[in-house]
Amino acid sequence: MQEFSQQVVGGIATGGIFASLALALVLIYNAMGLVNFAQGEMAMLATFVAYSLISRGISYWIAFPLTLVLAFVGGLAIQRIVIRPVERAPILTLVIITLGLATLLNGLAGFIFGYVPRSFPSPFSAQSLGLAGVFVSYRDLGVIAISSVVLLAVYVLLQRTTLGLTLRAAAHHPEASRLLGVHVSWMLALGWGLASAVGAVSGIIVAPTLLLEPNMMQSIIIYAFAAAVLGGIESPLGAVIGGLLVGVTINLAGAYLPFVGGDLQLAVGLAIIVAVLLIKPNGLFGRAAVRRV
Amino acid sequence: MGRLRSAPPRYWLVAVAVLFFIGLPTVISSFLASEWTLALVFAIAIMGLNILVGYSGQLSLGHGAFVALGAYTSAILAHRYHMDYLVTIPIAGLLTGIVGFAFGFPALRLSALYLALATFSLAVVAPSLIKRPKDLTGGVQGILISQPDPPDFARNGFATITGNAMTSEQWIYYVTLVCALILFWLAWNLVRNRPGRAMRAIRDGEVAAAASGVNIAGYKTLAFGISAFYAGVAGSLYGLAIGFVSPDAFPVSLSIQLLVGAVIGGLASIPGPLLGAIFAYFLPIESNQWVPSQTWIPDQITSTVKNAGPAVSYGVVLILVMIFARNGLVGLVMSGYGVLRRRLRGAGDRETGQMPPDPQTA
Amino acid sequence: MAALLELEGVRAGYGPTSVLHGVSLSVPEAGVVSLLGANGAGKTTTLRAITGGVRWSGDIRFDGRSLHRMSTEAIVRHGVAHVPEGRGICTELTVDENLKLGAHRRHDKDGVKKDYARVFELFPVLKERRRLSASTLSGGEQQMLAIARGLLMKPRLMLLDEPSLGLAPLVVRSIFEVIKTINKDDGVAVLLVEQNARIALELSTTAYVLEVGRVALEGPSAQLQGADSVRRSYLGY
Repeated sequence: MQEFSQQVVGGIATGGIFASLALALVLIYNAMGLVNFAQGEMAMLATFVAYSLISRGISYWIAFPLTLVLAFVGGLAIQRIVIRPVERAPILTLVIITLGLATLLNGLAGFIFGYVPRSFPSPFSAQSLGLAGVFVSYRDLGVIAISSVVLLAVYVLLQRTTLGLTLRAAAHHPEASRLLGVHVSWMLALGWGLASAVGAVSGIIVAPTLLLEPNMMQSIIIYAFAAAVLGGIESPLGAVIGGLLVGVTINLAGAYLPFVGGDLQLAVGLAIIVAVLLIKPNGLFGRAAVRRV
Repeated sequence: MGRLRSAPPRYWLVAVAVLFFIGLPTVISSFLASEWTLALVFAIAIMGLNILVGYSGQLSLGHGAFVALGAYTSAILAHRYHMDYLVTIPIAGLLTGIVGFAFGFPALRLSALYLALATFSLAVVAPSLIKRPKDLTGGVQGILISQPDPPDFARNGFATITGNAMTSEQWIYYVTLVCALILFWLAWNLVRNRPGRAMRAIRDGEVAAAASGVNIAGYKTLAFGISAFYAGVAGSLYGLAIGFVSPDAFPVSLSIQLLVGAVIGGLASIPGPLLGAIFAYFLPIESNQWVPSQTWIPDQITSTVKNAGPAVSYGVVLILVMIFARNGLVGLVMSGYGVLRRRLRGAGDRETGQMPPDPQTA
Repeated sequence: MAALLELEGVRAGYGPTSVLHGVSLSVPEAGVVSLLGANGAGKTTTLRAITGGVRWSGDIRFDGRSLHRMSTEAIVRHGVAHVPEGRGICTELTVDENLKLGAHRRHDKDGVKKDYARVFELFPVLKERRRLSASTLSGGEQQMLAIARGLLMKPRLMLLDEPSLGLAPLVVRSIFEVIKTINKDDGVAVLLVEQNARIALELSTTAYVLEVGRVALEGPSAQLQGADSVRRSYLGY
């Protein structure tokens, strides 16, 4: 029972990581109906930036928000430079472009930082804490805390501020928003910036566990896809819940299903994607069709 | 003689290309021949992907997984069951084709975006799926494939023409070339006839196609099957050319490399896959050779460029092509050719839009 | 005195199809002008041209400033509220959020508060359903929301595209009452596109009748109302 609870808590921690990246995917999907295949690589590059800052002596707690700001700017720049010229292109063209972007960013990271895996510091100690008979590492608690704060902040931004309102309006109703004086084009750019910053969080909090190298996010993005699809690709709440469910599921599958083991957890992620898409494509919280006005 | 003269330039180009490829190994080293073998393998795989993406409009990002399936099928049949490798090639193709066809059914239910997502995930997971059944696939180590010696008729023929002994690599090159020629010819026929038209109709508008009586489900799954068949053959030939198969030879970047080749060469064209394959295969090699040869670049940079260069250039090229030249190289050539032709022939008859009669056929 | 809105020789179309072939009209400060005509005459296109939703050539001036090449957002920020065909309600948002969007550019907090109070006075149902999704509103209620939202923008000119479409006569009456009030009390000019010519002519001082992209008839509403032949051939009643 204790082992089970520990796996669940560990799963919640990894779920927080998946939820952050999945939320980034959902933000961009809501803005343009596009799944950004480069989201993971963008997060990876941001994590490298954080690494550079920290190795120059900047404290973790300053480097973290600074990286988020830089990631925001980066995401905005990518939207303006790469995506905006082809805004009206068919979806598959945009998908291929995001694939090109992913390839490019991966190569760029390799070019600038090399392929040697580096260890990334965590501000939380690796020790464990006994809570109600369950041993939870400080690291896992830290991951849960940080992802909760970030997800909550995004929620507050989107639902309770005017800026968030205009972002949502521009995403779902671009034509009507224009007639209300909303700069829809800039809202899209901001959306990309926001998504990039949120995705960066997942990279930074997973790096201590995985070791930082250019291919670090390749499996995380699959889990994030699973989380987003499971929660419903348009639903931010779905991304969070989906993330938690995927995290717990792969942990339990890895621990209790002998044929899965550690190396086939990724296949469980794939299985979740395929199962959801075939059985209930809208996921848990999605709606049938997004109508745009 | 008149008919020859009036044959479209396209047929001349094909004839020249075929002759080029037949003659190539006689003038280059055996090692280079094996490089070109791999380029042809890519061409076959990309042709398959092109049928799926370019002609039937289904974006599958998991093509590398099918290539792996073909490669491993041949490797296992040859290594464990001691089958003649050449016999395993069509078997691998057929098996992969059937699996692909089966994939086509659930794929019907997925929207374009979700299909891309699911197949991408498959491509990422594929290496770990291969590693698992260690007894069958050899796990991380993979399976070694012994490269066959050229049979007598080939050895004699080659010696007669070039005066040299034929190497295994050159023999494998010709095997690959024959497969490529057959498969390209098949694709050309497919595209020109009803299946091709049906697929294009589906790609351009499913509702309209269904209204015209096209069997959407049938042709879409058929496209998946055929595309997988090509990938399987390519994978099989790949194993033969390299001499072994391993899970790490089929990462997700292979699927992306194939997509890059398809897009750059030109989707929905027959020569496109060949041009795209040559580009996709030789670009990283050329850049890898060029950079180290520049002695003023320090070693660390050289080694990272070797690893990173291809990815950066692929990414940039893919983005630029999708923004500026969606029809790829073939599209550029065709529009350039069109412009040239109009200049040479004059404006034509403005009233009827007819071109003046070709003096040679008059 | 220059009119608030002036159109001169406006041509507009969608791609190769030309819809407007030289439309000229003007809306005076605080005036109510109706734009009538059959389906396909180009009424909606005219409104879309004003707020930059379609390419046009010719001259469109708002408050003396040319609108050529201005983005929709910029035109709207200069004081033009456009309630489009189909109302343009953001159904993913709540009623309150829709209203907030109307007021989001304004900095006068007290003014906004007052306008909110007015809006709820004019349309009590909106106050009741504030927190509900805008998709739960009926057609008439959505129309009220669209107009309320436009009002909160504190525009100088309001473009209304077929506000009566699909609504019961009683609802139409009350909405038009509100439009009249807005015009009288706030001095908001109104350019009203309508197929229901009768009620439009009652409300407006001047009317233009469009036919196949051209102004076929123009004049004081009273005149068009009075002339039987005009009514029958152009206005259908």
